Amino acid sequence: MNISNPSPPHPVAPRFGEIETGTELPAIELCYSQPVIDRYALASLDMNPVHTNEEWAARAQVFGMPETVGHGMMTMSSLASVVSRAWGPVSANGGSIRFVNATFTKPVRVGETVVAKGYVKKKHHHGEGRNWVEVKVEARDTSGDVIGVADVGYNLPD
Amino acid sequence: MQTPDRLNRYIETQRQKDFERQFHLGWEQYETWEEATVGERADASHTFTVADDDVASYNRACGETDPLYVDPEYAGVHSPTGELLQHPIFVTAVAFYCIGSSGIGSWIRTPGARNPGQQIEINEPFGVGEVITTTITTRQKFVQRGKHYLTMFMEFRNQDGVLKATWDCSLILPATRADVGRFVHA
Repeated sequence: MNISNPSPPHPVAPRFGEIETGTELPAIELCYSQPVIDRYALASLDMNPVHTNEEWAARAQVFGMPETVGHGMMTMSSLASVVSRAWGPVSANGGSIRFVNATFTKPVRVGETVVAKGYVKKKHHHGEGRNWVEVKVEARDTSGDVIGVADVGYNLPD
Repeated sequence: MQTPDRLNRYIETQRQKDFERQFHLGWEQYETWEEATVGERADASHTFTVADDDVASYNRACGETDPLYVDPEYAGVHSPTGELLQHPIFVTAVAFYCIGSSGIGSWIRTPGARNPGQQIEINEPFGVGEVITTTITTRQKFVQRGKHYLTMFMEFRNQDGVLKATWDCSLILPATRADVGRFVHA
């Protein structure tokens, strides 16, 4: 990896005074293949067989279907990624994620491609150094069904 | 038996190698919905010492490829923190490691559990080398439309007592140990 590039620290978040409600963030896309789910199981240390063991999942039918599904926390991660990729979990100019509140509405079947996108829903004016925005994020599966929604709070620089 | 051997090819960290990957092993000791006591508060059984490879592995599993997320050397020069950027839901790995397979909160490992939604607050990212303790308070349990909900509030603090993050964690659970057993033996 070349680290000699003298580019300044990044990413950079927009300033609170400059952003408008309704501003859209770039969509993100992730295919929930079984290997991707397997990797998530290891990375999160959540080895629940409903995500990784096809034979057990077929017998147990936890979600009423005979197959493995993606982790709810993986869906939450995809939802949060919309904001963290756009502005950074922390930004070089003082921004940071403050919360992620997610609701899951449909299990994600293996092989689904999840697309998540969001927009600035509300600006919270609390004074210098304390302003933040609420980003509404929604994720859909390949058939267009909503699989999860989230409100993401983000501290923006003034 | 429950976790296929094929997952071994994706192991990236010593923690993943050492962690008990058989989800049902010791299920007889998991706390159940029926047994959980609202108001009980205790530290989880393990602490989590944050390492670069834990963070990078979680980031990669979320699809991150930017070197700020996966290359510690690059991030050391270019990221705002001087460390890898940390996916905001990385706390999931911290929680599953700290809770383990017995005691308060171990119902997070329940076979047959369903995840209705979660609330995570982040005060600041976990720092590499920090030793994270998870304190758990059993918050609420109730039945709604025949589903048994259990909620715990997790506080994640570093070795200096600084509150790094919280997680209001809810699951829909099989109610009794016998109900859990039916999933274990499915």
